[in-house]
Amino acid sequence: MTRTTSPIFGRLDWSVTPYTDLLRKVDSNSLVGAGAATVLVLGAIVTIALITWKKWWGPLFKDWLTSPDAKKIGIMYIVLGLVMMARGIAEGFVMRTHQTTALGTLAEPEKGLVAPEHFSQLFSTHGTIMIFFVAMPLLIGLINFVLPQQLGARDMAFPVLNQVSLGLTAAGAGLVMISLLIGKFGTGGWTMYPPYTGITYSPGEGVDYWVWAILISGLGSTLTGMNFAVTIFKNRAPGMEFMRMPLFCWTSLCVAIMLIYAMPALTVSSAMLALDRYAGFRFFANDGGGNMMNYANIFWMFGHPEVYILILPAFGVFSEISSTFSGKKLYGYTSLVIASMSIAVISFTVWLHHFFTMGQSAGVNIAFGIATMIIAIPTGVKIYDWMATMWRGRVRLTTPIVYLTGFFLLFVIGGLSGIILANPSIDYQVHNTTFLVAHFHNVIIPGTLFGMLAGIHYWYPKAFGYRLDETWGRRTALLFVAGFMLTFLPLYVLGLMGLPRRSPTFQNPAFMPWMIVAEVGACLMLAALASLFWTFRTSFKNRTKLAVPGGDPWNGATLEWSTPAPVPEWTFPCIPEVTARDDWGETKRAGDPWRAPDTYSDIEMPANTLHGLLIAAASFGLGFAMVWHIWWLAIVSFLAIPGIMAVRGMREIEPKIIPASQVREEDRKFRERVASLTPVTRADEASERNQGVPDLSEFAG
Amino acid sequence: MSDNTLYPGLNLGDSHGEAHVGAETTVFGFWVFVMSDLIIFGILFAAYASYLDPLGLAGAPGPKDLFDIRSVAIQTGLLLLGGTAYGGVSLSVKYNCSRARVLGWLAVCAALGAGFLFFEIKDFVSQAGEGGVPQASGWLSSYWALVGLHGVHVSSGIVWIIAMMGQIVWRGIDDAVKIRLSMLGVFWHFLDLVWIGIFSFVFLVPLA
Amino acid sequence: MTKSNTDMLDPDDGASHELRNYAIGFGVSLLLTVGAFAALLSHLPTVWKVSAICIAALLQVMTHARNFLHLSLSGRQSREDLLLVMFSTILLAIMAGGTYFIMADLDGRMHDMRDTQDMEGMPAGG
Repeated sequence: MTRTTSPIFGRLDWSVTPYTDLLRKVDSNSLVGAGAATVLVLGAIVTIALITWKKWWGPLFKDWLTSPDAKKIGIMYIVLGLVMMARGIAEGFVMRTHQTTALGTLAEPEKGLVAPEHFSQLFSTHGTIMIFFVAMPLLIGLINFVLPQQLGARDMAFPVLNQVSLGLTAAGAGLVMISLLIGKFGTGGWTMYPPYTGITYSPGEGVDYWVWAILISGLGSTLTGMNFAVTIFKNRAPGMEFMRMPLFCWTSLCVAIMLIYAMPALTVSSAMLALDRYAGFRFFANDGGGNMMNYANIFWMFGHPEVYILILPAFGVFSEISSTFSGKKLYGYTSLVIASMSIAVISFTVWLHHFFTMGQSAGVNIAFGIATMIIAIPTGVKIYDWMATMWRGRVRLTTPIVYLTGFFLLFVIGGLSGIILANPSIDYQVHNTTFLVAHFHNVIIPGTLFGMLAGIHYWYPKAFGYRLDETWGRRTALLFVAGFMLTFLPLYVLGLMGLPRRSPTFQNPAFMPWMIVAEVGACLMLAALASLFWTFRTSFKNRTKLAVPGGDPWNGATLEWSTPAPVPEWTFPCIPEVTARDDWGETKRAGDPWRAPDTYSDIEMPANTLHGLLIAAASFGLGFAMVWHIWWLAIVSFLAIPGIMAVRGMREIEPKIIPASQVREEDRKFRERVASLTPVTRADEASERNQGVPDLSEFAG
Repeated sequence: MSDNTLYPGLNLGDSHGEAHVGAETTVFGFWVFVMSDLIIFGILFAAYASYLDPLGLAGAPGPKDLFDIRSVAIQTGLLLLGGTAYGGVSLSVKYNCSRARVLGWLAVCAALGAGFLFFEIKDFVSQAGEGGVPQASGWLSSYWALVGLHGVHVSSGIVWIIAMMGQIVWRGIDDAVKIRLSMLGVFWHFLDLVWIGIFSFVFLVPLA
Repeated sequence: MTKSNTDMLDPDDGASHELRNYAIGFGVSLLLTVGAFAALLSHLPTVWKVSAICIAALLQVMTHARNFLHLSLSGRQSREDLLLVMFSTILLAIMAGGTYFIMADLDGRMHDMRDTQDMEGMPAGG
């Protein structure tokens, strides 16, 4: 498949869109492909039209895209994650639908909604998107929004770098999105194992899309990790000692450590793959001294810590909500801290369990199998701590608690199936079957997804000033729980019955009942997604009724609940002096928590800048040009990046100053507002009476 | 904030006020970045070691055919001198010496780095001429990737030095420039550190 | 560096002290480098040569970290930097050591097929 490379357009020509396939042959496969591309194009057109019609370009540019404010960057990450999640869930639905129609017969062994090649693209993009462009943006976004507020900091340590990280992640997501319309994505799964993904067997642009999306967004994640770590080490409020930090900050620190030390492994493995593909290196070649096993080794050196990158922020969220919604102090704070840190370090010692069957000696397998089982211990400690936190508390069944309950029930099942897989001899039997697919969905969905959605629900009022609708929130949560169970628990059975993962077709009619159950589950997952977006919409419509200007709708104990909702740009009128763990709770217990500070001073905030946008544009250009071999564009974009940095380095940048008088005025208004609102008891929390000022007499935690 | 416990390393000393405090966060952040970079090098070292066997060499030219020990010694000397010369930059900034002196030391560092690169590229060219191209074997791929990545780092270090010289001429040695010079120092010394690993484990050990 | 009980910095005193620091670092590094190259060119057994090169490298890394990068246990910031470097080294040792452990094992199993001892270690039906 040699194509000519034009000096201007590289390998781009008119044959690369899915519409060409549709013109060539109309069937369910080309219709699905063209339909997805149309959704992308129409979505873009509708978004642009809406922004133009509402005249939002100015505010979007001035208040969001150029803002180095960690809170806004966090929200943008979450929006990116939710948009990508819509695509990921839709793809999951198409895959399940394909498999329910894929029962082959002797006469026609390959059947189903889409072609096998298309199915392979689907599971590859689904995995890539869900890990790198849904889970990661959601958790990084949540940490960005919450971490500085919980630490009593104004912003991240490096606000502009933060913007650049967002830009790089968005550029990577953009590359994956554009692959719907221009060209095809790779078919090697989200791990893209060579030699199948080498140039010999995958000559097209597909694997290159993956490589560049991963390299670019991976760099963004590494920089984010640095930013988190330095913020936690250097930007804590005075008195905020390490053992006074809320647990979410601790898990953020663990995430930061894992991002810093694990992402380089991904960078190395995908850069090696790129060198093999572009320059004919022999790292993973079949012959001539190459060793394809080294790819699996380096990739999973990243891949396993990544699993804990995904889960630990959710553990942080669950620590916060189990305490808040039970009205109790977190049980076993120290043990939770130790457990989190142990998980962070032990997660670097287990990577081989992803390739037990690669052919190494039994002794090597046993060493990593034991390490894998050990890592379950701190996780178990955490589950017990949260249950003990809720024990005898006044638990309110709010949306986050529904997610937490779902997490308790389902995550434990997922964890236990992980222990089963940690045994190499059992792994030999069920590896590469849908048992494994069921296992990792069973930890990632009830863990990461439920945790992130619970966190979004919990902190949403802080960001936008109104609560999310509880009824719809609970409906969404229950739909996700039910949808998950129906979709993925049958896959355990199918795996044990012998259905290989990623299989575009099968010939055993006994699989069909389970397939149909899973298809029903997939419909529920789609409904849950719709319900999630409906929750946002209906809450926005009722935002005056749901408003919580008092800023503390859940009677919380950590610093972020001391400020107004929506939280002002400068977060705190003056940096708080922390005297205890759960400082805001202690202030409440001492009475009169909303006392105004004695003095106000000018606040320095980082000025808005185009830097992140420019770097994002240049790196997107670089990635796209490399995928399509448009060498001039690649060189221009590559040189643009240090150029942009050098130009910024030459200029002296003045911070934005917010005068003390303005801060004092806004703060006075907030405190008068709080005094005028009626405090609400916990029983009334979900009603319209909740205006963000809690009844202090009820604060026991 | 004349607190002696603040950034004492490559640092600016107490008499620099704001820059000293700012340096604490920024330079620590840069250290974290460098550590992330260290992991990249570490994995490449491990890959190099794992390709260094008859299977990875695959009959292509090996260490004994390709490595020129004299050139490696010259490169090592140049880089060590270059690293030490950065001490001149750090001390002249710390003790408020003239702008020309800082620029001079930076130029010395860049020149020594460029000399290193000259010999490294010369080696690469002659190795390629002897059939030691990265496409020839897994071991050669890992050798070119590891040593080449270090070379790319040295080149970007030189570009950074030139950019800093531009900034010193353009805006003088202000606080931001001082902090950046500290970060550049960490980077430049780090390259020396990686080179110790390269000349010992990539060049000397396979020849021993 | 700092005279006792005053916060005054004596520039000449500090500068000469630090200059000496760099000079010592350079001298020691030079010696260790020359030593490593000399070990290679000597007629020692290979094991000795390799050990000498490794020890020299380790010592030189420590010299650079101490004299050029100013990592030490005294002073809060340089201690934090040192702890960061040590933590990174531990993780790197796990990753690089683990890679070598795994890949060497795989290579061994590809080469030593004559060795029946190793064949027994193979999982049945693997």
